[in-house]
Amino acid sequence: MIRCASLSLTLSHRPVLHELSWDLAAGSVWGIIGPPASGKSVLVKTLCGLFTPQRGTLHVDGVEMTRLPEPARVDVRRKMGMLFQNNALFDFLRVWENVAFPLARQDPELSREELAARAGERLRAVGLAGSEEKWPSELSGGMKKRVGIARATICNAPVLIYDEPTAGLDPVTTSKIYDLLTDLRTRHASTVIAISSDIPALRRFVENVLFLHQGRVLYRGPEAGLEACEDPVVYQFIRGLGEGPL
Amino acid sequence: MIGNFFASIGAFVLGLVEAFFAGLSIAGRTFRGVFHPRGRARGEVLHQMYQIGNRSLLFVTVTLGALGMVLVFQVCLQINKITGDQSQVGPEFIRGMVHAFVPILTAMMLATRVGAGIAAELGSMTVTEQVDALRMTGVDPVDYLIVPRFLASMMMTVVLGVYATVIVVLAGALMAHTAFDVNYAVFFVFEKVTWGDLGVGLTKLVVHGGAIPIVSGYCGLSTTGGSEGVGTATTRAVINSSLTVIILDFVISAIGLMTVQSGV
Repeated sequence: MIRCASLSLTLSHRPVLHELSWDLAAGSVWGIIGPPASGKSVLVKTLCGLFTPQRGTLHVDGVEMTRLPEPARVDVRRKMGMLFQNNALFDFLRVWENVAFPLARQDPELSREELAARAGERLRAVGLAGSEEKWPSELSGGMKKRVGIARATICNAPVLIYDEPTAGLDPVTTSKIYDLLTDLRTRHASTVIAISSDIPALRRFVENVLFLHQGRVLYRGPEAGLEACEDPVVYQFIRGLGEGPL
Repeated sequence: MIGNFFASIGAFVLGLVEAFFAGLSIAGRTFRGVFHPRGRARGEVLHQMYQIGNRSLLFVTVTLGALGMVLVFQVCLQINKITGDQSQVGPEFIRGMVHAFVPILTAMMLATRVGAGIAAELGSMTVTEQVDALRMTGVDPVDYLIVPRFLASMMMTVVLGVYATVIVVLAGALMAHTAFDVNYAVFFVFEKVTWGDLGVGLTKLVVHGGAIPIVSGYCGLSTTGGSEGVGTATTRAVINSSLTVIILDFVISAIGLMTVQSGV
């Protein structure tokens, strides 16, 4: 589904991704973990074509993204839904309008009533029935995440990307969010990429893990194999040790 | 030491060139977006016209009204010291306002109020990833965010400019009449205003009105960092918009003087 080879990206004269290669099979569920500022969010944005790497190739569903001009990337992005780290809800739109936004762009023929109905349906699925007319500023952190998830999944895109779906949330809400993501994943058989600092919760959700550190891949493989990884950074990070190279 | 000095100058110049071409690219995409709208929000131009025009009325009225009064007072005061003939104050004041002062002053006021607003709004959308979210859904941020502001600003700068001319002339006449006994009939003489003056004044209003959202929008969309970045973008927007207005005003004035306007 997604294949990147020797991907390198420099932002503001600072190298962020180094020679990164990664294959994601359709329907697979990947977690990206790593210390702060290791390039996790930049990597997923690069996969969406929001950043253009200086070197390497990136194929999404067979289409080479890196040389595509911005307007041509739109068709590839339609195959992806993304929950942003800061939720990125449009503060000038009501909750239902936020959720319906990608749908309205994908199918301009849909009427306002149809869009509202579809958005309402999706909001019910994430447990936010009755919040349609609220503004994003009126929502709590957990509710914003749910709206973000509803927006990311409303088009039933084959690739779903969740950047910190549970950051700043309490354990109960975290558990509910992961239940929701699991439910969505099971229903639509999507390829899923999730970034989270909550390593135990993420590891319960994903099948495979990519460990990034300073833009380099230190581990790539099944979640179960992470414990056996001998890299000192990975060892320290997944065990939460104070002593070590980090 | 010397190497570092030249390196920093080189980086500064490269940054300026990069920003110039990025700004040109946004201007090009904005012009294209005017004729090929893609997914723009319905009613957004009207909403922006209200934000840019109606919300600036009080600011423009108070500032230009006061300025008109001060200018006329000072001119009459100086003339009184020399010849005492106030008959030319009104016609020359009106002409100067129409082709020179009102367009640049209105634009400078909008550069501070509207330019800062656009940069702050777009800057905050950029740092909170809302602009990335727009791009993810296939929406061009320039088309969606800058084009409606560009159209609204062009239209409302013209409207505000015409309104400001009325205010500044009325305020000037009131001052001339109350402080120096200049007859209203002597003040309100429009014969000196030529079609060339009107054309130059209107051209300046349209061009300045279009330039402010493009420059401010570029500053907003190129915001990096958090709230500090938004603050920096806002400051950059006000300074760059004002400088752009001054440069464009100079160019249009020069072209106007060489072509359609009669002598100064």
